[in-house]
Formats: sequence, structure tokens, C-alpha cells
Amino acid sequence: MNSEPAIYVRGLRKSYGALEAVKGIDFEVASGEVFGLLGPNGAGKTTTVEILEGLRPRTAGEVRVLNFDPDRQKKQLKDRIGACLQDTNLPDKMTVTEALDFFGSLYSRRADAGALLKRLQLEDKKDAGYATLSGGQKQRLALALALINDPQMLFLDEPTTGLDPQVRLEIRDLIEELRAEKRTIVMTTHYIEEAERLCDRVAIIDAGVIIAIGTPRELQEKSANQSAIEVTLSQPLKDAAVPQWPESIRSVVSEDRHRIIVYSKRPARTLVEMVKWIDSSGFELDDIHLSRPTLEDVFIELTGKKLRE
Amino acid sequence: MNAFLAFLKMDLKLAMRNRAVLFFNYLFPMMFFFVFAYAFGAKQGGTAVLVVTMVTTIGILGSGFFGAGMRAVQEREENILRRYKVTPITPVPLLLASVCLGIILYLPTVALMIFLAHNLYGMPMPQNLFSLFLFVCCGAAAFRALGLIIAAVVNSSQEANILIQIVYMPMLFLSGATFPLSIMPNWLQVVTQFIPASYLVTGVSGILVHGESILQNSKSVFALLVTMAVGLFIATKLFRWEKEEKLRPSAKLWVLVVLLPFFLLGGYQAWSRQELTKAKIVEREVARNETFLIQNARIFVGNGKVIESGAVLIKRGKIENVYEGSFPDATALNAKVVEAAGKTVLPGLIDMHVHLGATGGFPEDWTKFNPNTSAEHELEAYLYCGVTAVRSAGDQLDSMLKLREKFGTGEKLGAQLFFCGPLFTAEGGHGTEYAKYMPEAMRTSFNAQFLRLPKSPEEARKQVDDLAAQHVDAIKGVLEAGVPGYTFNRMDLNILRAVVDEAHAKHLPVALHTGSSQDVIDGVALGVDSIEHGSLIDDIPDATIAEMKAKNIAFDPTLSVVEGFTSFAKGDTSLLKRSLVQQVTTKDLLNGTEKAATSDQFKSLREGIGHYPMSLQTGGNNLLKAWHAGVTLVTGSDAGNFLVMHGPTVQRELDLWVAAGIPVDVALQAATNNAAKLLHADDRIGTIEKGKDASLLIVDGNPLQDVHALSAISTVFFKGERIARSQLFEQK
Repeated sequence: MNSEPAIYVRGLRKSYGALEAVKGIDFEVASGEVFGLLGPNGAGKTTTVEILEGLRPRTAGEVRVLNFDPDRQKKQLKDRIGACLQDTNLPDKMTVTEALDFFGSLYSRRADAGALLKRLQLEDKKDAGYATLSGGQKQRLALALALINDPQMLFLDEPTTGLDPQVRLEIRDLIEELRAEKRTIVMTTHYIEEAERLCDRVAIIDAGVIIAIGTPRELQEKSANQSAIEVTLSQPLKDAAVPQWPESIRSVVSEDRHRIIVYSKRPARTLVEMVKWIDSSGFELDDIHLSRPTLEDVFIELTGKKLRE
Repeated sequence: MNAFLAFLKMDLKLAMRNRAVLFFNYLFPMMFFFVFAYAFGAKQGGTAVLVVTMVTTIGILGSGFFGAGMRAVQEREENILRRYKVTPITPVPLLLASVCLGIILYLPTVALMIFLAHNLYGMPMPQNLFSLFLFVCCGAAAFRALGLIIAAVVNSSQEANILIQIVYMPMLFLSGATFPLSIMPNWLQVVTQFIPASYLVTGVSGILVHGESILQNSKSVFALLVTMAVGLFIATKLFRWEKEEKLRPSAKLWVLVVLLPFFLLGGYQAWSRQELTKAKIVEREVARNETFLIQNARIFVGNGKVIESGAVLIKRGKIENVYEGSFPDATALNAKVVEAAGKTVLPGLIDMHVHLGATGGFPEDWTKFNPNTSAEHELEAYLYCGVTAVRSAGDQLDSMLKLREKFGTGEKLGAQLFFCGPLFTAEGGHGTEYAKYMPEAMRTSFNAQFLRLPKSPEEARKQVDDLAAQHVDAIKGVLEAGVPGYTFNRMDLNILRAVVDEAHAKHLPVALHTGSSQDVIDGVALGVDSIEHGSLIDDIPDATIAEMKAKNIAFDPTLSVVEGFTSFAKGDTSLLKRSLVQQVTTKDLLNGTEKAATSDQFKSLREGIGHYPMSLQTGGNNLLKAWHAGVTLVTGSDAGNFLVMHGPTVQRELDLWVAAGIPVDVALQAATNNAAKLLHADDRIGTIEKGKDASLLIVDGNPLQDVHALSAISTVFFKGERIARSQLFEQK
């Protein structure tokens, strides 16, 4: 893997007149990494991505993408990246094959269109006009077009939004494949589980500022929210009370007195003490379940907003 | 380049699948083509060229504004351009492809229209097909660029619609694409010169009708190309891939910048009127291309033959056929019918001796008198009266050259002008008296154009050569000593001989003004080509008349001028009261002349003229003698002299001939075929024969029985055009 970061951003600012959409953000994306940008609408995600793609000039800051300056080396950069924007269309009567052929001829390098058709399961539709494609087929074609120049780096702006769950899963599988091919991917999404599952690292943007960045796990751990430890016992608890385990915040016993839920800031430490207590009390442990805070919880905690509003 | 080709290839493929594109590029123009062809009667004449011109222009406008402009806006609104934005291209290949697409899509339509016009409507194949297509390409490119700049400055398709209508509508209606410019008032014609589409119309029609090349339309081509270049440049600079990017409303002013070349060209054209003139000429040529069948007519052929009942087919300005007895059905010939039962068709009459610089009388208000417009009016008056050709036998050279240009091209409609230009005479000779009372400066410039006073045979030759280089039609000499009390210096015969010889060397006929039998004797000896006036004071000797016959010297007795002078001397203005004279002469001139003929102011002038010993009797006798001897006779009136009013001159001259004893058919032949021969124009005019110009006069009745029928004019044709006589004097 290349030691140079694939994307390098320092002090990036973007203003539209008086409105400052991006207020000085820093991040890096390593080569081969899948990087997610999360944030509510209007947070500055799309602006940031479009600056990286060379579609928009920046107001200030330093940006390198594949070692190109997206402002000054637009053409070289665009030639090497693939992009899947939100809300784009093709002419109604353009067929799938023609689209691949046409877009392919705009790049200095082109992937095998036949292989792409196969990979994106568009072979049956290769002579169909754009207007006749379903939403999922259009999105698969958009991905195929993003790959037509065999790019090292892909920008996927909300790649699964508006698709039905089955198609969404297919697209996710495809992104996993692309990740396995060591392509650098920058994606924005509204689906938290998508980010959790697909992204190596995520950045949470709100009001033009990155408020958290790291692996999904790191973000969860940084969260002030507690993890919940839920144990199920073979016999019901006799005593009314349970002890105050280290680091635990509070404990709840279920009505049938078979289950104990303990909220903790450091679940690993609490759990050890709990198991010791159960053991020494002569209970038999049927099941144990640890639930961490979701990225959604983290997101709400950090931004005070739900992702999709 | 790759991107450009990729866009062009894709645009073409998509266009071929788009019903709207196919409809507007192919079906729609064809509908217009057939509707216009029907409405303008393309089958019966040359209007097919106008139809092709109009539909080509309409198609180019549609292709530019809707094909390029609207489509670009729609692609932006549908987020198609947004998809292209992430690819490594600039807007340039996309815009260039749009321009080229318009050209490629539309050229077949133009080719098809030419093919159809040629095969269905008999339109001659354009001589400069390459220039035509090149010009159409320039036009299509410029209007595609205009469409693209509109797309570049609007923020939505609603805005595009409004802006396109604002630009498109005037271009459609004020360019000649839907109405001919000639029906517009003058100020509106000037407005049309600021509208780019007008240049498409004049360019295409000029190439189609005139056989012009693209180079003759260089100003229009330049303006179109500048519009294309500036339009593309600005469209590139203002290009937006996304509908969310908005431009401020003032950006729409860029459209005006793109139209700037046409504002400049329009300003120039409004001043020079070159294009408007060209439009007029093209319309004239189209009007001359109609097919007519004059049927059931008596035909005076002009070569001595009379067809008692027959038909004349007129096509593309020429006599296509003459039928004796039965004739084909007009519909089978695609001809408009001119019913002429009870009428007589004659070759257009010819007056061999007029002076357009003189009016024949006295304008009432000299301050309103303009010699240039007056001369134009005179040519219109001749045509009105069926005198389709005149020879100016002495006028200012510069004004004749201007008139020939204006009327010869068809910019203005009037009798065909032949001219001698200045008079060759002696210092103090006849001809020098006219400028005598002018102010010095005016006199000098007038005489420079009106007189040639060679001092030596060498100078005379040189002067003849100079005139020949200006393409005069004949040389006019003056040989006249006057009469006691009115003496003139007579031209030296050696100098006159040099004039005659040099003129003949240049293949120019010499018309010699003579005052007396001695002048005729000397002139005939020198071998001039026509004797003008002969002698109105004494008899021409038989031997001289025999010599005229032997040398084929024509005789133009100009009896009208004798009648005019004597009437004026007597204060008799009945000549002014002839119906045709009243129809063609301005009120101002009629009233002024009427007054002058009786006023005290001109009493001495009248008395002076009254003392001049000229006599109609003498002139008539000389004419009769010449006819009996077999001399070639031609008709001239000397119009412009007192009471010889321009217009129905040949009619009056023939009245006098017939009164003198000449048979009508002899007189009519003198006024047609003989005159045409003397003009060296008998290959084009003078008789009603296949291949001649269709310049004809149709009169009610039979002039061979009653010569006065020549004034009962039914219809006049000039070079194939049926003349709207009542509108002749309202030409702009």
C-alpha cells in the first residue's frame, strides 16, 4: 500500500457568498481505504465531495487527491477517478451499451465494458434505453459508468438512497468487492448500518465542521453512551437487589427475575465482576449479550439530529 | 477531438431516435415547403426559389433556437449535463457537436427541397450548389450558436421559452422568411436589416436566383461566422452543468453582444441599402419567372406576319412558344391564363429618340423638381404605356449610367434603357445652347456629361473610345447649321467622319441629328446608321434617299417633335389632354406646362419657336418618300421637347405616320422589329418569336385597323413579368 495518503485535506473552506458551507476541515484518506462521510442534510458533505472531485473550486485550504490539486489539475484528476453523483440522468433513448461506449470514449483509459455489464448484471439490459430501466438498474448503470475508466478512486454520493432493500444489498456487495480490489472509496450515506458495515473510517460532519472521525468502533467507544450487558440466568434471582458492580451506572432486573441488564461505561471490566458474582452466587449462566451504542446513537449524541431529517 | 466525435456520434444516434427531431428537421419543413409552394404558385413560375429560401430559413431558425437552445436547457434541467460534469471534458466538444449536429441534420432537407423544387416546379438547378450548402452551413452554425447562448444565459426552460420567442418571432416575420420584404413599409424594411435572419434570406435567395457565389455574400457570411464564434465563446464561458447554478438576470444581455455584428451590419445596410436592393432584385427575378399563356389573341409578330388567332406561352422571362390556331391547355402547361380574345398582342414598342433629362414641359414648382427622380418616373411612364424600350439620344452620361444600373438590374421597374450618352457637336453647335443660361459652375459640369466637342479627328476618336468603354449603346452626332435667326456652328465633317469610323470600329451604331437636307446628304455620305429627324424644313433629295436605302441607313423622322413645337408656339395644349399623357404625367408638370403654354412669361419663347420654319408636312413628305424607296424606318419622338411628354410617345408618333400615309403594319414594324435591329438588340426584342424576351403589349381591339387601338392598353409584359401598371409609380 502506498504511504502517501490518497486524499489529503487541510483547512478546507468553502463559502457561497456570505454563507460558509465548509468551515475549515482536515482529514486524510489512505489508499485502499473506504471512507464514509456522514452528516445531516446541508452539513457540507456534498460540497466537500464535489471539491474533491474537481467539480467545485474551494475558497481556502489545501487539497490533494491522488496527488492532484482538484482545482488546477481538474482534467487529470477527473480522468483517474470514478464518480457516482446523486440525481443524474442520461438521455432517455441512450442504451446501456451506448452509455458505456460513450462515457468510455471520454477517458484516456477504459475498462472492459462487457465485463462491467456482467459484473453489474446488466447484460440482459444492454440494448435497453435509459428511460426503460428500473431505479436499481439505473443505479447499477451509474456504478458501471463510474467504473468505465477503471479508476483507482471512487466517489459514491448516497449510492443506495431511494433503492429497495434487495437492490441496496446488491450494491453493498458490489462496494465490498470494490473494497477488496483495493480501490479507494469515498462515500456519503444516510444509512448508518451501511457506513458501519462498509467503511473503514467515517467522518461526521455537521455545519461545515468535522465533529468526529475514526473507525466506526472508535467512534462508538468515544461515545458517552453506555453499553448494556444483558445476562440471562437459568434460575430466577431470589434477592431483590443486585450489587453495584464496578463502573456500572445502574442495573435493572426483569420481571421474571431471569435477566439482569447492567449499563456500564466500561463493559469489559463490569462484565468480569458480574461473571464472578454469578459464579460465586451459584447461578448458571444461560446467555450473555453485550450491546454497544450504534453509530446512529453516536450521531444523535454528537449532532443532536437524526441522520435523515 | 475524441470527445467531440463521441458527442457528435451520440447526438446523431439519439436524434435519429427522437421523433420530435425528425419531425422538425424533415417533416415540418416539407409541410411548409408544399404549403408555401401551393400558396405562392410555384408550379406556374419561379417562386420555387423563394419557397426554398423561406423554408430553409425557417428550418435554420428552428434548428438553432429549439434544436440547440431548448435541448441544451432541457439536458441541464434533466441533470444529464451533471453526469457529464464528472468526466474529464470541457463544454467545448459538447457545444461544437451541437453546432455540427444542426448542420448535418438539416443539410439533407435543403438538398431534398432543391431536388423537389427542380423536379416538381421546374426550378433551375442552382449554379453554385457548393456555395449554397456552404452558406447554409454558416447560417445553421450561427443560429445553433445563438440557440446555445440563449441556453447559456437562461435559468430555466420557462425563461428559455420566453427569450426564444422574443428573438425567434421577429426573425420569423421580419426577415423575409414568411413575407416578402417588398410588402413592408420602408421603415420596417430598415428594421429588417438589423435582423440576422434577413441575411439568410437574401444570401440563400441570391445564390439560388442570381447564381451568386459565397464570396458575393461575404459580409453576411462574415457576420454569421462572427456570431457563431462569439456565441460559442460566450456559451462556453457561461456554460453551466447544473440547473442549481443560476446566473443573474443581467447575464441575458450577452445575447445582445452576440447579435452585435448584425447591429453593425444592419446600420451599414440601412445606410447603403445593398441588401434591400438585392432583395428587391431577387423578387423581381422571381416575378419574371412566372409562366403565362396569352390565349385567343391576335398576334402581331413584328416580322411582317400577323397570326389572327393563336397563343403565346411565356416562361422564365422568355417567349417559350408561339401557337398559331390551336394551342395546348394552360393547366397542362402549368401556366396562368391571360385571356386575350378580341385583343392584339404586339412586341413591346420602342422609342428610338428620347431625352430623359428634359420633361417636355415646365414643372409648376421648380423647387420640388428633381431631375433624377424625374428621369426614373419617365422610364416608368414608358413601361406603363407599353413602350418597353427607349433610346436616349443625348443625355448626361453619368445619369444614364445610374439609370441603366438601377433599371437594368431590376431594382426598379421601367422601360429598358438604351443610350448614346453625350452629343458630339461643334463648339457653339446645336446642343450647346441648353446650358447657356445655367450658372457657370453648373454649366461646366452639365456640359462635361452632355457634350463632346472634339477639336480634331484624333480627339474625336479618343472620345468615342472612352464612351465605348462605358458601354454606351450608340453614338449620337449633331449636324445642323440652323436657320437664319437660329444659326449654329456646324460640325467639321472630317471630325464627324472620325466619330463615325471610330464608332463603327467599336461596333456602335451612329445616330445623326440632321436639320436640313444638306445635313442628311452629308450624313448619308459619311455612312451613319440612322438619320434622326431628317429635314423638317426642306425635302431630302431622291438620290440621297436611294443612297440611304442602298447603305441600309435607317430613317427616324420624329414627327412628334414638330407637332409639339408648333402646338406650343400656338399655345395649343391638346397634346396634354390625351388620356395616357394624363395618366402618366405628374400633376405638377401638367399644370405647369399648361400655364407655360399660355402665360405671358413664355410669350417671347413661343413666338420665337413659331418663327422657326419647321413643318409637319415637310417631315411627313420626307417619311413617305423614304418608305416608298424602301428605306428602313424606325420610330422616335424626341420626347422631352415641348409638349412631347414621356410615355405614350410611340402611339402619337404612329398616329402622325398613319396620318402622313404610312400603313399601320409598316409603322408598327418600324416601332418594333426595325427599332430592335437598329439597337443591335433584335436577338432579344422586337418580335414575338420563341426565345425572345417576353416584353409585350396587349391592346384592346385591332391596331392594324385602327392605330388608336394602341392606346387602349390591356396588359403590359416586361421580361416575363405581368406589370402591375397602376403600381409602377409607387415603387419605393
